[in-house]
Amino acid sequence: MKRRTFMQKLAFFAGVAGFSALPFGLARLLAPEVKADPHRRVPLPGSLPDPDAFRGACIGCGLCGEICPVKAVKFHRNDGAGGVNTPYINPEDRACILCGLCMEVCPTEALTETPIREVDMGTAQIDRVACYPWVDAGVCGACVGICPLGSSAIDFEFGNFYRPVVQKGCVGCGLCVEVCPEPSLPIRIVDRSQGTVAHHGIGVRRKIELR
Amino acid sequence: MRRTWQRHINKLRWVSLSIVFLMLILLPFLHLYQTYEAAHAYDLLAPDEKAIYDAMERLTAPFVSDPVTDLNALKGTTWSGTLFGLKLSDPLAVVGQSAAGLTIYWPFLLTALIPIAVTLVLGRVYCGWICPATLIYELHDNLAAWLRKAGLPVSRRKLDRRLKYLVLAAGTIIAAISGTMVFAAVYPPAIIGREIYYAIAVGGFGAGIVFFILTLAFDLMVTRRGFCRYVCPGGALYSLLGRFRLLRIQRKVGQCNDCAKCNVVCQFGLDPLRDGFGQECNNCTACIAVCPTDALTFRVAFKDQPFQGPGHLGHEYRRRQENRQADAHSDPGEAA
Repeated sequence: MKRRTFMQKLAFFAGVAGFSALPFGLARLLAPEVKADPHRRVPLPGSLPDPDAFRGACIGCGLCGEICPVKAVKFHRNDGAGGVNTPYINPEDRACILCGLCMEVCPTEALTETPIREVDMGTAQIDRVACYPWVDAGVCGACVGICPLGSSAIDFEFGNFYRPVVQKGCVGCGLCVEVCPEPSLPIRIVDRSQGTVAHHGIGVRRKIELR
Repeated sequence: MRRTWQRHINKLRWVSLSIVFLMLILLPFLHLYQTYEAAHAYDLLAPDEKAIYDAMERLTAPFVSDPVTDLNALKGTTWSGTLFGLKLSDPLAVVGQSAAGLTIYWPFLLTALIPIAVTLVLGRVYCGWICPATLIYELHDNLAAWLRKAGLPVSRRKLDRRLKYLVLAAGTIIAAISGTMVFAAVYPPAIIGREIYYAIAVGGFGAGIVFFILTLAFDLMVTRRGFCRYVCPGGALYSLLGRFRLLRIQRKVGQCNDCAKCNVVCQFGLDPLRDGFGQECNNCTACIAVCPTDALTFRVAFKDQPFQGPGHLGHEYRRRQENRQADAHSDPGEAA
């Protein structure tokens, strides 16, 4: 083969490779940056559903934070407003292990003992453009392995061993976020209204079968 | 003269106050130790965290077999907490929370039952013996005395004692209207307990410490122990509960010599010299400790005595003095 034809073919294949990678590149360029929200404040497990009622019932004793074995409970401190010294949790920052000690120790009705399957801190949401097994059939399953609620909260897709699908039983404890090895946070904890599936890229969206 | 044992009770009170305060400092460290233990993270700890871990392990090893669960028996602050498995809460927390939530939550009310019963019998004893802010306020008052001695103007105004009942009522009403626990933000023992916990376990003080420093300034610049006497809503509640307490300090008029040391030492500005204790007295026994003739003792009674007149030792002294003067005047006459 002459050098000239070799160069031509090389240019051709490079063009094909570059063009086929374009959607991914565009997707990554146009994809909104996904980061854990450090200001997200979720009420503790078992807390009164109405935030005003919760603020009225909480006496700010700090027992829930003191008993929490993983120090997931934080407190509104210098941020003014009516809820000073009331507790919150940011499951993406530090996951709740659903041990139930805070509900047990709370002296008031602010936190009442609730079965862990009825706790509501939001739900996990999987970005199918960032999760390894969803993007390129990689091998992972860390989130499914760590989930304390088992297959009622997160399970593999039918017939596929490693594509995780969040189920209705998820309470949003955030352990999957802590264990996820992918740095771009394919799994996040969001409000239930936002759904359990996300596609933060654009070019690849068509390749993924929507549920 | 043989002195009674009661004058040593004041030392016991300082021991009690110190124990409570040291417990509040110790508990966050125990909590940190518990967290490290639960995480099985000893190898990942920083050197100073390892020091905390080792110290707490040495301290608790004789008492607990499984620190992660056993140490839960000792948690919280004087605002609300668990003391060796017994849940206790401040009555003010119950009042404020019932007002804020407009409901009575019985499990919480029951945790305040023991403090209420103790207050009904012993009076405002929480303020003098347990309250972690009292320790700081009393030391602060001693500092104020030093400053006064050094010539700095330390103010000792008198305000109306009923102000604190107004604060209690207003706080309850604001809690009921706004639905938030306003007492938790203005009640020094709650603030102290919380801020110690924040400073040690969470890192950095919260907003409450600013308010507490303001109360210290109020004590220094307006009146002695001013916050406890005139503003504290918890003190108001304890005063109301302890109005008909059983154990009271009373004056034995036959031994009193009207020296008024009790009035000077009383940080609450009461008037033991004229039998003026009232519901404000927190049975701190400072007056018993300072009385040179042991005229002040504990008695079991529902009511204070009305003013019994000047002390008889003083009478005696004055009578002798008058006699001596009379003798001095009459001596020349007799000689002549």
